[in-house]
Amino acid sequence: MMIMQKKRILVVDDSEMNRSILADILDGEFEITEAENGLQAIDILQKESEDFLLVLLDIVMPEMDGFGVLEEMNRLKLIDNLPVIMVSAETASSQIERAYELGATDFIIRPFDASIVHRRVVNTILLYAKQKKLISIIEDQVDEKERFNSLMVDILSHIVEFRNGESGLHIQHVRVLTNFLLTKLCEKTDRYPLSETDISIISIASALHDIGKIGIDDHILNKPGPLTDDEYVIMKTHSMIGAKILDSLTMYKDNPLVRRAYEICRWHHERYDGRGYPDGLSGDKIPIGAQIVALADVYDALTSERVYKKAISHEKALEMILDGKCGAFNPLLLKCLSENSEDIRSVLKKPDVNVSRREKRGFNDVLVHSKAGEVASDRTLRLLDYERMKYNFFAAMTEEIQFEYSMATDTLTISPLGAEKLGVEEVVVSPEKSEKLKEIIGGDWFRSLIDMLEKSTPEKPEIRHEKQLHCNGEYRWHNIIVRAIWTDEIPPKVDGFIGKAVDVHDAHITINELKENATHDPLTDLLNRAEAKAQIERRLLNYPNHKYALACFDIDFFKHANDTYGHLFGDKVLKTISQKMTHSIRASDICARMGGDEFLIFFEYDTDINAIIARIFKSLCCNVDKFDVTISMGIAEMTSVGESYEELFHRADLALYHSKQSGRNQYHLYDDSMKNILAQSNITDIDVPTDKKED
Amino acid sequence: MTIEECYAALGGNYGDVLGRLRSERLVTKFVLKFVDDGSYKLLCDSLDSGNIQEAFRAAHTIKGMCQNLSFDKLASSSSELTEALRAGDEAAARKLLPAVVSDYDNTVRAITEYKNSLV
Repeated sequence: MMIMQKKRILVVDDSEMNRSILADILDGEFEITEAENGLQAIDILQKESEDFLLVLLDIVMPEMDGFGVLEEMNRLKLIDNLPVIMVSAETASSQIERAYELGATDFIIRPFDASIVHRRVVNTILLYAKQKKLISIIEDQVDEKERFNSLMVDILSHIVEFRNGESGLHIQHVRVLTNFLLTKLCEKTDRYPLSETDISIISIASALHDIGKIGIDDHILNKPGPLTDDEYVIMKTHSMIGAKILDSLTMYKDNPLVRRAYEICRWHHERYDGRGYPDGLSGDKIPIGAQIVALADVYDALTSERVYKKAISHEKALEMILDGKCGAFNPLLLKCLSENSEDIRSVLKKPDVNVSRREKRGFNDVLVHSKAGEVASDRTLRLLDYERMKYNFFAAMTEEIQFEYSMATDTLTISPLGAEKLGVEEVVVSPEKSEKLKEIIGGDWFRSLIDMLEKSTPEKPEIRHEKQLHCNGEYRWHNIIVRAIWTDEIPPKVDGFIGKAVDVHDAHITINELKENATHDPLTDLLNRAEAKAQIERRLLNYPNHKYALACFDIDFFKHANDTYGHLFGDKVLKTISQKMTHSIRASDICARMGGDEFLIFFEYDTDINAIIARIFKSLCCNVDKFDVTISMGIAEMTSVGESYEELFHRADLALYHSKQSGRNQYHLYDDSMKNILAQSNITDIDVPTDKKED
Repeated sequence: MTIEECYAALGGNYGDVLGRLRSERLVTKFVLKFVDDGSYKLLCDSLDSGNIQEAFRAAHTIKGMCQNLSFDKLASSSSELTEALRAGDEAAARKLLPAVVSDYDNTVRAITEYKNSLV
């Protein structure tokens, strides 16, 4: 059994022996961190609570006892996410009760049974993992539902705006501003007790503030010039019409969204000094939602361009509102507006992101902090934002193609530049089935990648391989590094992956060229001497029982031909012979140019060797530009298992000598009579092979 | 001396501890460790200096260890002492102390003998 990433357990007990017994019971599966009193435990948890799966906690300890630790964990809001099992000799039910009340998950009484401790620890961890997973599933679903709700509301409000000839931006701005100002207001004062959820509902409802305009006659609503007094009276009825529309939704009258929307529709033209319409409410008799929407409405109307007016700058609009030229507002609200002047400007440039994230978080709080309406700190969200910004920054700076895949959503996300390079969308749903990706990476890429990842281990989760990707119209080599993402489950499963592809095409090509150059003769494209030797030795080692023969030959009077007809002609002869060589042997045989006019053929045979040699010899003699090319050749067969390349070559070389000595343009198979040929030789031919000096 | 004989000599229940900790290696390891624990000394020192709070914690620790190891005799006498100290009854505690001292000495003697027989 293995738990991913964080598998640490904190054991808090003042007795070294008790800690040690627990550590031994859990050893191997978990990493144990020990604290000998409550203060130490809290110190550790403050720094790295995220790293722990569980706390085993004694009660009676010096410095700070177990109850103190639980209280402190409550204060630090750790108790909801980190399970605590009490381990104590205390048996008084009041003590046990108190531990449970403070949030302990379980209570184990000393003396304990090792297997029970183990079982309870594992169960508790599993339970918490499951709970976290469920919370995130519900969060996602709620988030999606809220987004749909908010979309429906937007569409509805847009119908009104559309009729009014306004852009859909107005309701978006009003909503973002409402959300922002409400949040700031609640930070500033306790006067309006609104939860995160309330704020989110009011923000959504704000989009409906003008739905009553649906009941206003076209020619008044869209009149180009100023309204007459009578027309203005009619126009003013839109707030009450909107309220009535909502009020007649009998089935949903008590729905919080409808209730908030009702308040906003009816009272968003009231004034704080009581001189607004339709009811002339004043001060905080006007619901706070309506007050805020009124302010947001005025601000956005001033700063947006309309048929009848130009847009006014942010500074000017703020000045006009604060001077009371656009209505009377709650002084606290005006303070929020002026204090956050700069943020308002920037928050309007990226609408909506904040709203939906807040809604999601609000739900998390409700679920986790079901006891009281506590609010979790913003720290985690800020850290997340910071990490996202950092990631985006680096992703934009790099040439690499970065990607991320989540099994749960079956979605592949590719960094913007990477997607552009590959010519695919940034988000690919069901990437396994994408024809486009198959073209780019190859048919079976997804399955084989997952297979590789499943074979990787959490300790060594990275896999690297080189692959050709089709991008910008050509296949280019990429170094692909991928890391599996593992679930928290026991045992962990591959839940997705992240990775990057780095273009190494140019380096790859250079290396291949270097490899080719290092192993091949540039003129004839045959293997060079060193590579031939290496390949033959490999063959001899891997297939010791096969029958092989090695033939050496050189071109008769090549130097003479070179001197007479020039080097270009010489090169032509060498190339022609090379081509004939490769044609006269099988693909699995080896031919090489050993240097100068000297060549080698290494072949396998299972029939009469004489016939094979005769055929090869005959095919190599040819005519180049009316010049008759003949060769002298010596051949040696393997005589025993385990013979070395050198021995084989040496004998072929001796047979070659014999052919030359006997008048050239002929071949001989080595026999022992040629053993001492070199000693007897008085050949002075310059075409003498050079190999024997080294081999 | 075997570990069972050691348990018999100190008034413990070897069958019980083995049933709970499931390994003779673990039991032996912690039995040998028991003599190194400073709680007994802390208990005596704290009682000498009249620090009842500290004495309570020390007695409580001894009781806990003895329960873990099934040192029944010492567990029982230290448990009574713990309760007296928890209640802040110093007079009762002083009356209970000799039994703890005698059980503790007996326990340490048995463990030491067992330890020596291992070499």
